[in-house]
Amino acid sequence: MKITNIMLSGVGGQGILTSGRILALAAIDAGLDVKMSEVHGMSQRGGNVDSHIRIGEKVPSSLIPKGGADYLISFEMMEALRYMDYLKPDGKAYVSKLKITPLSSNLKKGGSYPENIEEMIVKKAPSVKLIDAESVAKELGDIRMVNIILLGALSKDIKVLGRANFENAIRERFNKKVVDLCLKAFERGMENG
Amino acid sequence: MKKLMLGNEAVARGAWEAGVAFGSGYPGTPSTEILEALIHYDDVLVQWAPNEKVGYEVVMGATLAGKRAIATMKHVGLNVAADPFFSSSYMGVNGGLVVVSADDPAMHSSQDEQDNRYLAKAAKVVMVEPSDVEESRWMTKEAFALSEELDTPVLLRMTTRVCHQTGITFPEDRITPPEKAFVKDISKYVLLPGHAKQRRHKVEERLNKAREIGNTSDRWSPIINPGKKIGVITSGVAFGYVLEVMGEEASILKLGITNPLPLERMKKFAGSVETLFVVEELEPYIEEALKAMGIKVKGSELRPYTGELDLKSVEKMLKGTESVKVTVDLSDAKINNRPPTLCPGCSHRGMFTTFRDMGLRVMGDIGCYTLGAVNPLKAMDSCMCMGASVGMAEGLDRFCGEKERGKTIGVIGDSTFFHSGITGLIDMVVNRSKATLVILDNSLTAMTGGQPHPGTGMDIKGMAAPKLDLVEICHAVGVKRVRVIDPYKLDEVKAALEEELAAEEVSVIIAKAPCVLGFKKKFNEPVEVTIEKCIRCGKCIRVGCMAIGEKDGYPDIDENLCTGCGVCVQFCQDGALNFRKKK
Repeated sequence: MKITNIMLSGVGGQGILTSGRILALAAIDAGLDVKMSEVHGMSQRGGNVDSHIRIGEKVPSSLIPKGGADYLISFEMMEALRYMDYLKPDGKAYVSKLKITPLSSNLKKGGSYPENIEEMIVKKAPSVKLIDAESVAKELGDIRMVNIILLGALSKDIKVLGRANFENAIRERFNKKVVDLCLKAFERGMENG
Repeated sequence: MKKLMLGNEAVARGAWEAGVAFGSGYPGTPSTEILEALIHYDDVLVQWAPNEKVGYEVVMGATLAGKRAIATMKHVGLNVAADPFFSSSYMGVNGGLVVVSADDPAMHSSQDEQDNRYLAKAAKVVMVEPSDVEESRWMTKEAFALSEELDTPVLLRMTTRVCHQTGITFPEDRITPPEKAFVKDISKYVLLPGHAKQRRHKVEERLNKAREIGNTSDRWSPIINPGKKIGVITSGVAFGYVLEVMGEEASILKLGITNPLPLERMKKFAGSVETLFVVEELEPYIEEALKAMGIKVKGSELRPYTGELDLKSVEKMLKGTESVKVTVDLSDAKINNRPPTLCPGCSHRGMFTTFRDMGLRVMGDIGCYTLGAVNPLKAMDSCMCMGASVGMAEGLDRFCGEKERGKTIGVIGDSTFFHSGITGLIDMVVNRSKATLVILDNSLTAMTGGQPHPGTGMDIKGMAAPKLDLVEICHAVGVKRVRVIDPYKLDEVKAALEEELAAEEVSVIIAKAPCVLGFKKKFNEPVEVTIEKCIRCGKCIRVGCMAIGEKDGYPDIDENLCTGCGVCVQFCQDGALNFRKKK
């Protein structure tokens, strides 16, 4: 029973739940079973947010065990590091080069963001793809495209889903006005993957 | 047809397919999306109630009228609705009644981890437990039929990982339930002791009938892979983990109806295997029933007794192994917590910084503003349950001693006040309390995603609705000192608190400003830092705003997050923080 496990992580409000939904729709488009699990409620209050997506012929349960993720997609670097231990030894990570500083409570403590974060990420997952998704999204004129760009990067490696599955999912999830932009963002993501 | 749905959306779908005419409840994670999904279907009246008890009672009235109706709430909401829930068990129903209890193992967003299967057992109502999204749909649908057939409310017990699981469903068409009208029957619907004594027997008869369904139905109590040496009895979300861990290595008895438990089927199953496990989340509910029948079973001693199960804990329990290992070591990585905080621009921020700096004792309540308890605000001393701030403030103020008088306040949100704060305030008035209550009025039930409440002036569909006035309510219950303040003006906040705390009678301060997230408010140009003027006192950092970070030892404002609310500006005494000039 081979199941592909994809872990998403980031900060509330970054579009993590939407990205998960696109992956799930792509799985249905590919004729596969899918289960996804997430926790709502605190997601708009700046807390860290994750989403577990599991795709296969038959998926009995919805949570990815630590050490069991084939892929990790992170929308923020510290949230990438936090979830690195979910990766399998040969798992792949796609990380947006974005820093969002958590609430600090003291000016003198020397900052609340880990120094040399990029180094740490590479050390923990040597095959990681650090992607400047924010710049690409800005070039495209819509910062919200970051999640589609990361999905584009993932699509180059993930075997169970084809490009057409992603594109159909994007067409189903978004309204006509932004579909073209999303498809363009997806392609830019593939180039960066 | 296949469709991707959230577990909660599937509950709404199942209710609609069953011909439900009415839904009511109070928002509470992880139950909130059920009613929010139900409004998108035709021919269903959906409304938010001020609290779960009222919601349940209106639903009960609808079933007496012969309609199928659903009440939704989180697990602790059922405590609020427990009075009608228990008594309705004796009354039974006319149209089908399903009540959803969304339990929260691991307490992702709750104050306790209660296992509401015991409430179904204590109330003697029939309970069904879906394990995934598709079951959430069909079990909800069938629950209405069970309710009518057995003349009982049915408790649909969900958990966070089923409510907030997304998966594939196979939606069906809406059926037309049997046409029914109100039937006068005082022996059934008027629970005088004499009538209740008669109904008491009906309750037992109904449970026996329900048990028989569980004992004989392959749909409600399927046995997967019969004939193996190892057997597992399980229910709810745990079923998926068991199936994934054991594959075809074990026979699995999966229970869909978990009150009453199908004891005969469980006994027979136990007799058919050499080793029997029970895998269930939280309390050993099924396990106790097996042990009471003298059946040897492995269960809670092999699993975590608190929190959620997952593939790892279930594998360890059933096989003693851990096939998926963590290989990435993060012990040398400095990863700070990222706790949820009040939104930038939130109207509660200035209130809690003032409570903190005045050194007040704050009896808090449930909502976004509970975040006022954590670093760096740390300005809340208790948070127990919906509405508790009022009574607790009265009690603490009364008995903390004359020396400490004038330091205690109750702090409650507007939605929570409508939910269960008003009766507390009546108690304060009639028992001559001198305590002060602060109502944080942001015109929404914000924490659960911005649902309207009786003070919003809007219904669940966004249509205009009657709007209740907090000032009028406070006056109506006998409070003479009621004042409305602007929570962004910190001098006004402090002055109001000082005056009302000194008063020798009950007073209410209403801090009124709309929820910044719900109403997408920007106040001013973003704040900017003049480094030359900053003395690095850290006062701005301690207002606890996500938009204020730190760079090289100085405050650093994220202009995309800053709403220009000006709370930090009022804290800065050296003029280093100012609104950016309009371009």
